[in-house]
Amino acid sequence: MSFINSSWWFVPLIITIFSGILCPAMGTVLITHRRLLQVNLISHCVLPGLALALALGIHPSIGGVISGLLGSVIAESLTNKKSENYEAIMNTILAGMLGFGVLIIPLLGIRIDLEAVLFGDLLTANFGDLLRTIIAFLVFILLMTFGYEKVVYVGLDPEGASASGINVSLLNLALSFTTALVIVSSMSAVGVILVIALLSTPTLLGLNKAHSLRIAMMRSSFFGLCISLLGFILSIVFNLSPGPAISVICVASLLIPKLRK
Amino acid sequence: MATLVAENLTYSYTKKSKPVLSKVSVEIKPGTLTALVGPNGAGKSTLLRILQGQCIPDNGQITIDGEKLIRQRSQVSLMPQRSYMNWKFPITVEKLVSLGQIKYSKSKSSSPFQIKALLANPNAWINKCCELEATMQRVGIANIANRRLDSLSGGQQQRALLAKTLMSPAKIYLLDEPCAALDPPAKEDFLKIVRQLADAGLSLMVSSHDWGTSLNSYDQVIVLDKAVLASGSPDSIKDKLEDINISSIEDNSCCD
Repeated sequence: MSFINSSWWFVPLIITIFSGILCPAMGTVLITHRRLLQVNLISHCVLPGLALALALGIHPSIGGVISGLLGSVIAESLTNKKSENYEAIMNTILAGMLGFGVLIIPLLGIRIDLEAVLFGDLLTANFGDLLRTIIAFLVFILLMTFGYEKVVYVGLDPEGASASGINVSLLNLALSFTTALVIVSSMSAVGVILVIALLSTPTLLGLNKAHSLRIAMMRSSFFGLCISLLGFILSIVFNLSPGPAISVICVASLLIPKLRK
Repeated sequence: MATLVAENLTYSYTKKSKPVLSKVSVEIKPGTLTALVGPNGAGKSTLLRILQGQCIPDNGQITIDGEKLIRQRSQVSLMPQRSYMNWKFPITVEKLVSLGQIKYSKSKSSSPFQIKALLANPNAWINKCCELEATMQRVGIANIANRRLDSLSGGQQQRALLAKTLMSPAKIYLLDEPCAALDPPAKEDFLKIVRQLADAGLSLMVSSHDWGTSLNSYDQVIVLDKAVLASGSPDSIKDKLEDINISSIEDNSCCD
């Protein structure tokens, strides 16, 4: 009863709901665009921006989004998807950026709870975290409202999309920016590293036999919401850390045979 | 009806690299089916991209009915190689075909789906839907309109891609190796459809590795290996092909 009477769980629950819907929807777009490695890259590139922003007195989220986006742009300018070195270069940059972030934290003389950034600390989330999640949610809705057809065309046939007049580079930049926002907004819920599970696993369920990207996104969001809520409830009941709990549930859902096809 | 004329096209990927195309001249006449044959690395895909305006040649010029290509890009539609497509994307055949109507550039032949055009003429929407249905019937995919792309056979996928290409308001259609990875019956079936389209008045150029009997389906054949080695009717080309050392051409092959 004391749990229901107190209200500390309200903000974390709303963040769980928003992240549970938003991350899988974003993940569906990224998987269908074969850009999942970008998520990994951006999530690792967030840390140096967070540290620098804190040192400069700017909101850490702004620094995180900028450095995530910057890492993505640098990686894309150094290689392209058709290159055989693509994955190696992407992985080198993501490891290097994470290492850079860890290096500059003591040099800048700042304190960052690395565990909370990387793996989330949902139960201590505040209204600032909620606001960040809502902003990322709104940006994603805007992108899908005004660019859905372009997102579909570029994901299906990038060359044809370019020939039809779509600025593919600009759209990819918009996708990277939104991805960085989603990752930073999920920092409190599951952390910038564990968010990869929430971006990928529900999508595997949602994409199965979906006849359009829109339907796939809605299904993925539904499964993501179920996984997130289950993780949230288990965390409270068994006094677990929510981020890792959600990630483990994602892995457990791989036991559903259809997902592994 | 439109005639495309390309003269003395030369193209290199970088300033220092050797040209992949050297002094290439081709002509696509209205209502004709042209085969562009050559080994891997001959420059077929590059030539088609240049003819569609995606790549700018180092030298030479392209005109459509006497006007420069840059002003007439919407008159040319390119069907890409199947390897460029993401066939796993969650989309139905009908939606894929309808994407062919989309034009975001500010060209004169913009899509009737644009809001201004739609408000001015609500019947445009109905006409476009009829056109979509007619195009799918034309290439024999109307019965699979609601199926997902990845549930189709290779031949059905290629026909869906052809229908998408035909939906653009172009007059000249360039098909980049549409028969690659198709089994012989599917290939024959595809070529029949393409022949019917040419007989109906469309101008098509089809790139292919095929040096065999299927060349008889075409009105004109162009043999390319960085330069035009021969061009003319299938019968006249067959005589010339005997003089061209095909095996030495294939030895030079690399990726397009």
